[in-house]
Amino acid sequence: MKTFRNLGLALVMFFATLSVQAQNSNEKTIQIKTSAVCNMCKKSLEKTMAYEKGVKKSNLDVDSKMLTVSYDPKKTNEDKIRKAVNDTGYDADDKPATPRAYNKLDDCCRKEAGAH
Amino acid sequence: MYFTIPAQQFYRILGTLALFISILYPAAAQQLTGKVLDKTTNSPLIGASAVWKGTTKGTSTDAAGNFTLQLADAATPEIIVSYLGYKADTIAVSGKTAVTIALSSTGSLKEVVVEGQQTRYSALTPTNSQIITSRDLEKSACCNLAESFETNASVEVTTTDAVSGAKQIQMLGLDGSYTLLTTDNVPALRGLSTPYRLNYLSGTYIESIDIIKGMGSVLNGYESISGQVNVKLRDPEKTERLYLNLYGNSLAKFDANLNVSAQVSPKWSTLLMLHSDHLGNRVDRNKDGFMDLALGTHHNVYNKWKYKHGDTWVSEFGFNALRETKLGGQMDYVKGEPVSPTQRYGTESETDRLSFYNKTSYTFPGRPYQSLGFISSGVHHKFNSLYGRRQYNGEQNTGDLRFIFQSIIGHTGHTYKVGASFLYDDYTERLEQTRLARTERVPGIFAEYIFNNAENLTVVAGARTDFHNLYGTVFTPRLNVKYDLTPNTIFRVAAGKGFRVANPISENTAALVSNRAFTFREELEPEKAWNLGGSFTQYFELGGRSGAFITDYYYTTFQNQVVADMYSSANQVAFYNLQGRSFSRSFQAELQYEVLKGFDVKTAYKYFDVQTTYNGQLQQRPMIPQHRFFVNLGFATPFDKWRADLTAQYFGQMPLAYMEAHGGAANVRKSDAFYTLNGQVSRAFKRLEIYVGGENLLNFRQPNAIIGAHDPFGSNFDASMVWGPITGRVIYAGMRFKIE
Repeated sequence: MKTFRNLGLALVMFFATLSVQAQNSNEKTIQIKTSAVCNMCKKSLEKTMAYEKGVKKSNLDVDSKMLTVSYDPKKTNEDKIRKAVNDTGYDADDKPATPRAYNKLDDCCRKEAGAH
Repeated sequence: MYFTIPAQQFYRILGTLALFISILYPAAAQQLTGKVLDKTTNSPLIGASAVWKGTTKGTSTDAAGNFTLQLADAATPEIIVSYLGYKADTIAVSGKTAVTIALSSTGSLKEVVVEGQQTRYSALTPTNSQIITSRDLEKSACCNLAESFETNASVEVTTTDAVSGAKQIQMLGLDGSYTLLTTDNVPALRGLSTPYRLNYLSGTYIESIDIIKGMGSVLNGYESISGQVNVKLRDPEKTERLYLNLYGNSLAKFDANLNVSAQVSPKWSTLLMLHSDHLGNRVDRNKDGFMDLALGTHHNVYNKWKYKHGDTWVSEFGFNALRETKLGGQMDYVKGEPVSPTQRYGTESETDRLSFYNKTSYTFPGRPYQSLGFISSGVHHKFNSLYGRRQYNGEQNTGDLRFIFQSIIGHTGHTYKVGASFLYDDYTERLEQTRLARTERVPGIFAEYIFNNAENLTVVAGARTDFHNLYGTVFTPRLNVKYDLTPNTIFRVAAGKGFRVANPISENTAALVSNRAFTFREELEPEKAWNLGGSFTQYFELGGRSGAFITDYYYTTFQNQVVADMYSSANQVAFYNLQGRSFSRSFQAELQYEVLKGFDVKTAYKYFDVQTTYNGQLQQRPMIPQHRFFVNLGFATPFDKWRADLTAQYFGQMPLAYMEAHGGAANVRKSDAFYTLNGQVSRAFKRLEIYVGGENLLNFRQPNAIIGAHDPFGSNFDASMVWGPITGRVIYAGMRFKIE
């Protein structure tokens, strides 16, 4: 049973990190689909990540809205990173943005502005 | 009627331009064309601006709402499109050659300010404007408005006298009272509060500051002569939920600031800002027996409310209350010391101030260019002060109402604003036996017309007529012209008239800290001046990093001025109406460039020639240096984790009007030339930021800042001739804590 569960976990991990670059032992990478729409969003998200505990580096691809974050799993986890994205005003995968943070975004960073 | 070019000719010009550019940039002779529309009506927007993001290269739309940008100018594949009364938008244009952009209205009266990454000189405003951002504000020491200007070259910060240590601003070499100070575009801290007003706005209340040199709009009244400083206070809707700033320095002065904001309901948001500062430590580093800085305690509360209803109604309310007490003078002076032959010299003051304002705007549905604005404000300001044996008390009650209608003529190439205003100003002052009082009631009407040829020319022509109950009809015309030779080469001209009623005692409080008698030779008339000036701005890119060169020249000439004459008679400051000429000529050249990634350099040179006729003799105004240099080095690591800033300033010699008896009357001397150096290092964490810095690091102190300090009630005593720092080096440290 245990082996199966581990195998299942490994499979999930495999799919979750399919498009992720090579990682060393104490560094993990996560990809998060965000609601970021422009370069200003990119800047504010990457800045948030730079100040997030345990985050080594981050990059947002504006076209695909994908935020790639490398982090130290001993210091943080995926939920915390997603929460940080939400608190900056953006959706992270299925988790919606914190309403107050979203309201404070610049007009051009709001998702209803559409990709532009 | 508006200016059009026949299509054929237009394409010919465009073709020539394209050809010209293709010669300059042979590899990238491509263009991006676009059309800007109103989202609801789909009608083209004329004169909307389209700028490559991160650059200052841009253009504005023509009569059909079309624009063309050169791909070669792009820094990122994004453009920012903005238009007055509409929400600015950032548009990704990678791989596109034509785009259509629909803008929606903002439903607010505020003008859109689009900032490039590094440009602090706006490329879009018709006036010569500079922006001090909140990021710039964090570069200087805490926590009042005076310190906010320390990393900026256009505004001077000077110390008024050697006893209070109060600071004042100067623009174009003219006293701060000639600069109109507004908060959120509402005239603020006028009249009797002028000498200490910079202390009354904490740096932590401020989102950003716009500095307009020379003549600005007529909408805010007739008072500005040398320029306008608009302080944008934090927005209840957008600011941090919690912001705490603590500061302490080596003189044992402490500051505490706390901002708390909340969204009360979907329509209402509020912000409470608190500021307290306290100096209780008597310091006398220059060993003249006087405290270098006045002791003081200051409590300040500002509460702002914002109401927003869809795109049509926006309203803001602000309430401010402050109390300040100060005590200065000789080291062992005790508050309330009775008058006696052995009494020590001291100054005391107690100030109470209450003020409120409201700004409400209504934007017509479906007509984002048309709005109504209603602005009201009220102030109660009262102080009691003592300078040695001179008692000086004052009270000011002010009410101000304004109503503005804004719309277009035909299309958005012609916009206009018309309105009416009413100003009520009631002043009572008593200096020893002299009592000054006046009540002003000033209804007025004004109009401003903005022409925009959608390409490279903006003309703002405004005029107002006010019906002053004491001084008759006052006509104030003003004109601003902006011409973009290329999107990166901008010329501006500003001309106009200003009018103000001086408050001679409060504007010369410094002279109270001396044994000069205040003499009024005649009935004083209001001050009137013409200001004419222009500026040239060149944005450039060198090695992939942007920079700007700005040079300007302003000439101000007074038709009437209240002359504060300290030259003619050694033991007097005499007030009389100007007989003859009084003018200011100011020249400034400034260069800003990002030398290395994250490393910004600003340098400026300034020349001032400020002369006034004193007793029939044209002389340099005291304590204005003719030559000044300014260098600011700013360094920041990515995401501003570490920041370091260093500002060096050189002050040339200044003429002085000393009152030492043995020199006879009109005893003109000069100050020393000197340098100051300020620096700060800060380190940011997720929510916390720690800063350490120093002011006047070279530890320069004006020698003999107080003349006759050994005998403060003797005839030679004068602490008003302050041209340099009094306190010497001050080291400070502090922290900022924010919850978004």
